[in-house]
Amino acid sequence: MTQAWVLGQRALREAWRTPEALLPTLFIPLFFLVVNVGQAGKIFPAASTEFLKGQGYGAFQLPASLLLAASFGTAALFLVEDIEGGYFDKLRSAPIPRTAIVLGRLIAELAKGLLIAIALVLLGLVFGISIASGPLGFVLLVGLTALWSVVFVGFMQLIALKTRSAAATNSGGLVFFPLLFLTPNFVPRDLLTRPMEVAASLNPVTYVMEGLRSLILEDLVWSDILPAFAVVAVLGALMLALNVRLIRRYD
Amino acid sequence: MDEGASVVEPRSPVPGRVGTTAAVQAEALVKHYRSRAGVVEAVRGVDLRVEAGEVFGFLGPNGAGKSTMIRMLTTLLSITSGIARVAGVDVAREPDVARRRMGVALQEAGLDPRQTGRETLVLQGRLFGMSPRDSSARAEELLELVELVEAADRRVKGYSGGMKRRLDLASALVHRPEVLFLDEPTTGLDPASRLTVWDEVRRINRLGTTVFLTTQYLEEADQLCERLAIIDGGLIVREGTPAELKAELRKRGGLASDPTLDDVFLDATGRTRGHVAGDVQEVTA
Repeated sequence: MTQAWVLGQRALREAWRTPEALLPTLFIPLFFLVVNVGQAGKIFPAASTEFLKGQGYGAFQLPASLLLAASFGTAALFLVEDIEGGYFDKLRSAPIPRTAIVLGRLIAELAKGLLIAIALVLLGLVFGISIASGPLGFVLLVGLTALWSVVFVGFMQLIALKTRSAAATNSGGLVFFPLLFLTPNFVPRDLLTRPMEVAASLNPVTYVMEGLRSLILEDLVWSDILPAFAVVAVLGALMLALNVRLIRRYD
Repeated sequence: MDEGASVVEPRSPVPGRVGTTAAVQAEALVKHYRSRAGVVEAVRGVDLRVEAGEVFGFLGPNGAGKSTMIRMLTTLLSITSGIARVAGVDVAREPDVARRRMGVALQEAGLDPRQTGRETLVLQGRLFGMSPRDSSARAEELLELVELVEAADRRVKGYSGGMKRRLDLASALVHRPEVLFLDEPTTGLDPASRLTVWDEVRRINRLGTTVFLTTQYLEEADQLCERLAIIDGGLIVREGTPAELKAELRKRGGLASDPTLDDVFLDATGRTRGHVAGDVQEVTA
């Protein structure tokens, strides 16, 4: 675990020293939040829209922005740089568990995810969004967002390890966009058309989004929160296992 | 044929050292790759023995199997068949034990450009299980050894090619390995930096570390290596000391004076100066 931690610290230094890679993860989700609220805010007035639970449409849209912020996966591009520059081989030639090589980057991603989620939620609070589930809800909200960023970077790292190409890894990240839109991101699931509702129900991102949304709009509703954490736990374990398997077989 | 040098047949262990643990040993080592064109036989049954304390040179033309060999010996590449041991440890069966006993500096100078020289060495020490205090002290020692103390707190991306090579060498030495593998340590360096790296390699060897290096520069092999092997087409085609190999060619070719190591290399790999010149012209056209 010590080795995973020191590799995590190194990955955090890497992120801190490359702010140009970090800033878009904050700016682009904010941009989408403003644009989406600007386009659909009048359709869903707070006073007469039941699913907003008394808040503005921005509160309903914030989960989509949090998920977008947590789905950049820039750490996977740094991994490709490590592979291309030979540092990855340096790590592989050290007597450390292969799990530590994967966990190091994931620990750093968790820390980055927490920081970005806190920044976005605090900005939301400034613009009138409130966290109905209270302080514990706030912690769960940023924790769930950060855990999703770990899942997503795990997925991106799989592409990086398999292709060893920055271009392929970057393109792989685009897979997330259809998944983000196959969710109840503009209205709740029960207001979607039937085919869209089926697609959204099959999409694991839906449950994470609904968990996040529940934490913002309602008091602690565990029937919404627990499935979200179950999704990130299962997908996170799967990504970790697949990453370790790929590194062990890496030639 | 001159005693000691061998043509095609692998060299026997050094007399008087039979039974001792070799620093590096390969037995019938084979590596096959699968590619779209079919199976590529990169290494086709290599036997090799490097004694403790030697500077051993591993030469060969591009694509001969040098890097494949070094990557198998350093646990970075799986072995199709055969046995590889470093400091007596089977690298396939006990890779982590072998990793603790070897240092590796590969062709690309595997460094993180966003870290400082000091951070690179401290991290490497921590990965080898040192405490924060011990790894900091070791980093300081190594920075002095490779004369990078003044640049220690600058980020690696600002280092020159020579400085990066020296830092990479230092990072391979953090855990005081018994065997140091260097894959083309001076490729791409200017002459002054090359001489500095040679000095470092000699100094490291004097401190007791066995050095196994691949190179494309025959002068480098002549200057640094006590013994060398030439690989071509995945097979060892010559093995011996530079003097033995030159004397063998002189005797076999009936030459009036000792040939150069270039002549030995060209003879061993079936290439001629004309052939090599032609290859270069094709590349630059």
